[in-house]
Amino acid sequence: MTSNLEGTEPPVIAEVRDLRVHFGSKRGRVHAVDGVGFQIRDGEMLGLVGETGCGKSVTGRAFLNLIPQPPAIIAGGEVLFRPRGGAACPACAGSGCHACGQTGGETLDLLKLPQDRMRQIRGARIAMIFQDPGKALNPTLTIGVQMAEVFLQHKSDELLQDAGISADDRNLAANALRRIAHQEDRWLDRRLKRFPPLRQAAGRIQQALDARVAAALAETQIANPLRVMRAYPHELSGGMRQRVMIAQALACDPDLIIADEPTTALDVTIQARILELIKTLQERHRTAVLYISHDLSLVRKVCDRVAVMYAGRVAEVGTVSDVFSNPRHPYTQGLLAAVPRAGARRGHLASIPGSVPELVNPTPGCRFADRCSQVMPACTQLDPVLGSVGEGHSVACFLEHPPHAGAAKIEKALTE
Amino acid sequence: MQLRDYIIRRLLILPILIFGVSVIVFTLTRIGGSPIGVYLSHEMNAEEVAALEERFHLNEPLYTQYWYWLKAALSGDFGYSGVASAPVAEVFWPKFAATMELSIFSAAVAVTLGLWLGVFAGTRRNKWQDHVTRVVAVSGASLPLFWFGIILLIVFWANLGWFPVGRSNAEIWASIAHPTGFYIVDSILAGSWQGLVDALWHLTLPAITLGFGAVAIITRMMRSALVEELQQDYVDAARAKGLPERLVLNRHAKRNALVPTVTVIGLTIAFLMQGAIAAEIIYRWPGLGRWMASAVVRGDQATIMTYVLFTSVLFLFANLIVDIIYAKLDPRVRLGD
Repeated sequence: MTSNLEGTEPPVIAEVRDLRVHFGSKRGRVHAVDGVGFQIRDGEMLGLVGETGCGKSVTGRAFLNLIPQPPAIIAGGEVLFRPRGGAACPACAGSGCHACGQTGGETLDLLKLPQDRMRQIRGARIAMIFQDPGKALNPTLTIGVQMAEVFLQHKSDELLQDAGISADDRNLAANALRRIAHQEDRWLDRRLKRFPPLRQAAGRIQQALDARVAAALAETQIANPLRVMRAYPHELSGGMRQRVMIAQALACDPDLIIADEPTTALDVTIQARILELIKTLQERHRTAVLYISHDLSLVRKVCDRVAVMYAGRVAEVGTVSDVFSNPRHPYTQGLLAAVPRAGARRGHLASIPGSVPELVNPTPGCRFADRCSQVMPACTQLDPVLGSVGEGHSVACFLEHPPHAGAAKIEKALTE
Repeated sequence: MQLRDYIIRRLLILPILIFGVSVIVFTLTRIGGSPIGVYLSHEMNAEEVAALEERFHLNEPLYTQYWYWLKAALSGDFGYSGVASAPVAEVFWPKFAATMELSIFSAAVAVTLGLWLGVFAGTRRNKWQDHVTRVVAVSGASLPLFWFGIILLIVFWANLGWFPVGRSNAEIWASIAHPTGFYIVDSILAGSWQGLVDALWHLTLPAITLGFGAVAIITRMMRSALVEELQQDYVDAARAKGLPERLVLNRHAKRNALVPTVTVIGLTIAFLMQGAIAAEIIYRWPGLGRWMASAVVRGDQATIMTYVLFTSVLFLFANLIVDIIYAKLDPRVRLGD
């Protein structure tokens, strides 16, 4: 479907397949994410847009397996991820096959990965930028301590090397230092670290750590990294805090960053600068970014491709230019029409009539059917699936792909 | 502001607070009646009463009376206790030490156990362990201390005979020196294992009685604070960094959940000091309890003054420690807003 004959398109680095996340509630199961599927290509910025409650944040969190269960129930689907430079694909031993998308790398299902493997990926290969940096930073720890955690978690061997402790050293002091660097220090280690001979070596580890933290902060254009490292979150402005979050996310040079509305909680004046910073760093590091937002104009500005979500499903996906200039799903058309434009007639704001449907025990059929101006009988009976309408542009709508006569029968047979 | 500066500032305020407390306590005690009431009898005539009043400066204004009291107190003279028939300063310390030993021991056990149970329940939210802890905590908070103490006494002393009453075995007590009046400390200083075991054995039942309510309050507070912290974004952010659950809990959630809990612990200490009197009477603990009860009934003002003053000062110190821990935990407190 998305294969490219010229082979210029970067490989798919992550893919969501038919993800279903439900929430138990008193009135029944809320189908918050109900069959979402899309792909993220290496180094691209994919916008995931939709209204509040359409399931975009839950989808984003699925990449880090950070969906709290309970109350959530992962009812099905896969979140696949191919880390750069990971192990070879077991099917083709690295020569490239269909299973690994011709990359030769191994494909991980993040939802089924054991906890310790998942922890090696979190923060190192996939990182997250949260919506409100004021809440995502611990108020009682300094920025330096919080940033250091990422390096200690994923780069402790490099830190030990920088401090001149080789992996072969197995004496008492080296073991204590290794435990400190791996954040497995015991009470005695913390006491011993204040006295020679450990003090000097522990100081060198700290220096190596501080240098890395300062460099990471400097990359997000923080003017005075050393001062910021000593500060507590409440001493920084919202924009500063978000820069810290971005620095933390980029610390280990991840393959994929989940940015969950990273500018929504910020002052309007800062938003543009933070957005620009994310874009610049994303291009410099060639990191893939899943940019979750409800703001179409932001997505249009920074993203390469966009997936439009509605009520727990993807309605339309394609390149930004395709989707914005030639929207094919009535919901996307409505959304775009609702964006206020300079020079439009005053006093009139376009909107889509009706409201988002209840997601408790939904009935079959297109979720948008109730609000759609071009609704057909099939729309309330059958679920439309994503189908291609052009190069890399797909839409889930019967206007584009009329249901063939057999579909109703198949659907019926499947549900029985 | 550095933590050290914060502590210094709080210590400087402390004498002023103690002075204020003594003024209030003195005034309130004088409202309770004349301090010579305990010495008067029906056979005394008006002149004899007047002579007594003059001797104790009771015909002078209240602030002068306070001045006389302060001067004497600063030189270690807290007056004469009619109930004990001895100077307060002589009888006070051993009894006060007994009460303090019981209160401090209960508080230490209650804080340790309460925090542990709170974390245990908070990390197992809505599982059966959480429900069991809740039942224990609710009973701890609602069972009246004097009733619960008597039940323990009937079961473990009268029926099973596992635990003694009183403070010590007389022989062991006599065999070691008592420089501090704290039995545990004295037996450690004397290097007596026998003494330490005896002290702890006698402490068990009164400490459980006294600490149960405090355990309940601390458990509930720690549990709900932890549950709330675990729902914060920064906990997910810590997990998103790849931190193991152990560090997410210990370095992030638990530490922040302690902030509101520590405040409650400070208040619980006052609760413990009041409860100590009831526990002492139940277990024949030779503390201030019985003496204080009769002193209040008979209007023994020198005793009441001393007791209220010392417990207030202790409460001030306990709260100072709580505030220091609070400032250490939460930078927003010490950095000042």
